Amino acid sequence: MSWLRLSLTAFAISAAMPVHAQTLTITTAGGDYGNAMKEAMWAPAAKELGYDVREETLSDGLAALKMQVTSGAIATDIIHLGSPEGAQAAAQSLLEPLDYKIIDPKSVPEGAKSDYCYPFDSYGTVMSWNTKTYGENPPKTWAEFWDVAKFPGRRALRANAQDSIEIALLSDGVAPADVYSVLSTPEGLERAIKRLEAIKPDVAVWWTSGAQSAQLLKDGEADLVVTWNGRAETVKKDGGAADYTFKGSVIGTDCLGVPKGAPNKEAAMKLIAAMTQPARVAKLTDFIAYGPVNPVAYEGGLIPEDRLKTLATAPENAGTSVFSNSEWWVKNGEAAQQAFDEMMAR
Amino acid sequence: MTVTVDPALAGDARRERRFFLSLSLPALFIVGLAAILPILWIIRQSFLTTGGEYTVANYSKVLSSGLTWSALVTTLELSLGTLAICILLGTPLALALASARPRVANLLMAFVMLPLWTAILVRTYGWLVLLRRDGLINAALTGSGLTAEPLPLVYNFTGTLIGMVHYMLPLFLLPVYAAMRDIDPNLIRAAASMGATLGQVIRTVIMPLSAGGIFSGSVIVLIYSIGFFITPAVLGGGKVNPLSTRIERALSTFQDWGSASVLGILLLVLMALIGVMLLAARRLLAQNTVAASHA
Repeated sequence: MSWLRLSLTAFAISAAMPVHAQTLTITTAGGDYGNAMKEAMWAPAAKELGYDVREETLSDGLAALKMQVTSGAIATDIIHLGSPEGAQAAAQSLLEPLDYKIIDPKSVPEGAKSDYCYPFDSYGTVMSWNTKTYGENPPKTWAEFWDVAKFPGRRALRANAQDSIEIALLSDGVAPADVYSVLSTPEGLERAIKRLEAIKPDVAVWWTSGAQSAQLLKDGEADLVVTWNGRAETVKKDGGAADYTFKGSVIGTDCLGVPKGAPNKEAAMKLIAAMTQPARVAKLTDFIAYGPVNPVAYEGGLIPEDRLKTLATAPENAGTSVFSNSEWWVKNGEAAQQAFDEMMAR
Repeated sequence: MTVTVDPALAGDARRERRFFLSLSLPALFIVGLAAILPILWIIRQSFLTTGGEYTVANYSKVLSSGLTWSALVTTLELSLGTLAICILLGTPLALALASARPRVANLLMAFVMLPLWTAILVRTYGWLVLLRRDGLINAALTGSGLTAEPLPLVYNFTGTLIGMVHYMLPLFLLPVYAAMRDIDPNLIRAAASMGATLGQVIRTVIMPLSAGGIFSGSVIVLIYSIGFFITPAVLGGGKVNPLSTRIERALSTFQDWGSASVLGILLLVLMALIGVMLLAARRLLAQNTVAASHA
């Protein structure tokens, strides 16, 4: 009798427990940012869902995504991309459509909505400077950043057209709201490139990774650095002689997508929904100064008052900013980058 | 006069040759798989559109772009510059090593080889620490009053060249050192006893006899330098853009595998051309040396 009871108990237990937990792979950018996403977002969400999540890190998400999808060897279920790359990936049909029955469609403001890559946090491309060089009197606008007579010093910009051409136009007196309409004319792009060419002799380094830009700022290799606000904030917090401003920043968002043909599509959608709950994207700001896209995350004191100032999307920071336009970049990105590279080679 | 060979012995020799050949099959197989197949794949890729149809558009796009040609010029400047400095620094060093006592030579050789045992990324970032604006070298220069302002040693062509020479010098040195060590010392003694000065000995005995080593070293330096990516990417500060960085741009910014493949083939052709040219030059030189020695 006891034998029967034992085997029945064993049977009941094994039926109650899934044979094996759902396993998923998430690909992030790694570094401080990747760790922040893990601690605040996907690790607690995975625990809640009972998923076994593995992490891969890559700095070149879109190239890897394309490689995986076209070769049919998809190694990740969720991929972290910049929104312009997300839009590009969607245009090349590299992503599954998001399942808005699982993910709450109301969690994204109308302007930021995407059918393929879910925007979850935002960052600003900002002006940062060495406080030893400029003391209390740093440049305040992009026009002053370009003014090498008034503000002598070595500049560092990103070796990429993205954000650089927007900033170039702002420095030339274009209003934030008009940046993309100006850029959409052939003369507009040329104007931006000419402006970059004008500052080129004073650019000591054209950086290629966010970590590199932070290093340049921290080491004083450059006096004026265009970088992402999270990187600048980290240097400042670590005691570097650096400060930055959100005035005139270019605000972009990062997003989460599911590669076309991903092995665990539905579970991936569920994890995206769970890891981007307002409390979790608010918690992300504990680790890195990238603010949530979901407006609900700013309510109910989820983010401490004093930290709001360090986020690109905080209401008082957003006034002079340009919102990066993914659609424009999908359409004109290659031409813009080509023009940028030609300027660099001259 | 003909030599008659025992047929049994000849059969043995044949069997032996066949056996040795069969031993090399696994290696040949791996080389075929790891080198030839990917190259064929890249060639195919260079003729495909993003949609997978056959086209020559990738070639016309890449070859008509001014960026390709300026990258090609940068590639050649970097590799020829690296080679020139390697020859200037490496040849006297090899001569010193070859003429040193074996114990001293071994010790010096260990120092030369040390960088080879360090990962390239570590070495490259090491140069960054030394060369940057508040780095060790600039601190010493400005601290001692030799220069008023820090010198721009890195994030430019100079820094890239320094990093590349550092990587390539040991690889250049090895064949040159080997060639010089193999020179029969009696030849040098003979030359000296006939009244040759040191300069004449170097010019007429040592250099011709080590030319083979210098050529092998040069081939290694050029073939490696042409494909260098990490050093220009880290030490070039975005301003030094050889073909390898164009390939990276095509892949990571544009996801344009077609153009990247064309650029890869361009690199391959460049390497083949340089290889052929160096071999031809070597043959020519060998003939001249023979002719000169008969004159």
